[in-house]
Amino acid sequence: MNKTVIDSNKKSFEIGFSELLEYKGLLWMLAWRDIKVRYTQTYLGVIWAILTPIITLVILHFVFSKIAKVDTGEVPHILFTIAGISAWTYFSRLLSESGNAFISSQNMIQKIYFPKLVIPLSKAIVGLVDLAFTLLCLVALMFYYRVLPGHEIVVLPMFLFFAILAGIAIGLWVSALTIRYRDLRFLVPFLLRVGMFITPIAYPVSMVPEKFRLLYYVNPMAGVIEGFRWSILGTEMYWTGVYISFGVIILLFITALIYFKSVESVMADII
Amino acid sequence: MANKSIIVENISKKYLLGKNTSKTLRDSIANLFNSAQEVEEFWALKNISFELRRGDVLGIIGKNGAGKSTLLKILSKITKPTSGRIEFLGKVSSLLEVGTGFHPELSGRENIFLNGSILGMSSSEIKKNLDEIISFSGVEKFIDTPVKKYSSGMYVRLAFSVAAHLRSDILLIDEVLAVGDNEFRKKCMTKMDDIHKSGKTIIFVSHNMNAIRNICDRVLLLDNGKLEALGATDEIINRYLNETASPLEQITSRFIKKIEVFGNTVSEDIISGQELNILFHFVDLDFQDAAIIRVEIYNRSMDLLFICNNRVNGDIIRIQDREGLVRLNVKNIPLMSGDYFIKYFIKTDGQGVDTNSKYVPFSVFNNNFYNTGLEPSSKKGILLNYEYLNF
Repeated sequence: MNKTVIDSNKKSFEIGFSELLEYKGLLWMLAWRDIKVRYTQTYLGVIWAILTPIITLVILHFVFSKIAKVDTGEVPHILFTIAGISAWTYFSRLLSESGNAFISSQNMIQKIYFPKLVIPLSKAIVGLVDLAFTLLCLVALMFYYRVLPGHEIVVLPMFLFFAILAGIAIGLWVSALTIRYRDLRFLVPFLLRVGMFITPIAYPVSMVPEKFRLLYYVNPMAGVIEGFRWSILGTEMYWTGVYISFGVIILLFITALIYFKSVESVMADII
Repeated sequence: MANKSIIVENISKKYLLGKNTSKTLRDSIANLFNSAQEVEEFWALKNISFELRRGDVLGIIGKNGAGKSTLLKILSKITKPTSGRIEFLGKVSSLLEVGTGFHPELSGRENIFLNGSILGMSSSEIKKNLDEIISFSGVEKFIDTPVKKYSSGMYVRLAFSVAAHLRSDILLIDEVLAVGDNEFRKKCMTKMDDIHKSGKTIIFVSHNMNAIRNICDRVLLLDNGKLEALGATDEIINRYLNETASPLEQITSRFIKKIEVFGNTVSEDIISGQELNILFHFVDLDFQDAAIIRVEIYNRSMDLLFICNNRVNGDIIRIQDREGLVRLNVKNIPLMSGDYFIKYFIKTDGQGVDTNSKYVPFSVFNNNFYNTGLEPSSKKGILLNYEYLNF
């Protein structure tokens, strides 16, 4: 028979992975609900999942390739850009949805117990569906341009993992902070807009002046997107920079977990 | 330890009032330099301890703000106690609301899965019970329609059906039975009874004394966050009701100095089927006009049984001096033995309405309404003169 103890004196820090495992059914259910609800009552339905990245792609391609004349070497600019867009869209969507994640689940949080980590994690899963659609577009374009991925493709899962980790880490920070500071709701869209310019989505990192380069990789998505592109299209990559990005992601993830845990127990009281 | 199900030791919960917990960055930054913040402590619960054995059904009652919901929230792990310790032996499910997480865009069937997993059921458990849940709810025909198209009754019935199929060892339930129409309510109470009989431990918070009386073995009375009493259901409910109603002498309102309630003659007991007299001592009147007095009689579950209103029966009440007596006389009162409560409203032209803030209690004794010495054992409703005719 299982035994549950609630003790106000217990202050030990645990993330509760085993508990999270118990609630994996709920995690999938919430993710499924979000996916299902997102496209019901829209005329085009799931087509939006393909349409949004394509529109972004067309605009970015036009601005960076035709106006700014960015040189992407042998790789067609449009391919170069969509590889960047796929990871960036995943990250930015996760971030903007995380902000309101707890507040929109307010009712649930106040009426029933569950590990709150389930909510941001379910958002991370939902984002993967859109990511899959964008990657599908990428594959289609690769067919069109007759570009084959090299052996680097085997490392793609690692970059995918770090993209997810970055999304969860920053999403967790944002969602936990938003509970106390609703200011974040205004700050996040702004940060994302800035982020879009300081992330190598439609231009190569080689265009960034040498002296700023290390600093540039402090942006966790810089390394992830470079890696994405390197593993799919075989563009050049600056490993030291990628390591910096990964380090930043891991640091953000650990601190996010710690901060989140400190907020979790009082969440129902302050939300 | 054997047979124990829940052990609650010295649970307290403190809230900080006046502290705006969801603040803006600016406030936070300002507070860095100005740490003296005005906060007031408020103890929603103070040193609550009790133990339940497996199969016990405990009712929690108390006035609004007594701490019932806070206690339930702590037991459900939704919020942490400030101090104290709780031990549960067995799987715990809580039901503070029916339909938590229901999404209006999803169909009834989809919401069963969603709500079920929020309540902690596994998807195989939900699949196993799906047919039963659907048929219990009585919304089979609309089960694949989005719930936003449901009537509120259908919505609640579907939501309750999911909850009714929770199979945990310990169930924590807030006032959720007061849903749906009478028939569905009866179905729910039967279900609760079944759950009880299958040996589950239940903690049940309600304002409905009938519901509490029907399913609880023991009752915990909370008052201002403190455990006021814990004991047998009837004893505690009576105590609670007597506390909420005040002694006769203390009943005063703007126009009324004193109320006397008696049977056939002054200071005589009120007997089922005989007379009921309510004597109002008016005082401080500055009107010479007609008054309207409405008297409402309630039973212990606070169901309104009947109303005596002179606007309706046409009696005219005039009080010539500043003081006076008005007596309400009811012949053949249709009340069974037990405790009842009076609420009155006095309306005068241009003087506003006067009413009692506390119910006036009185007791009725059974003396052979039907010449058999018997009365319905359910103690519900009122008594009527009737006959069965045999052809």
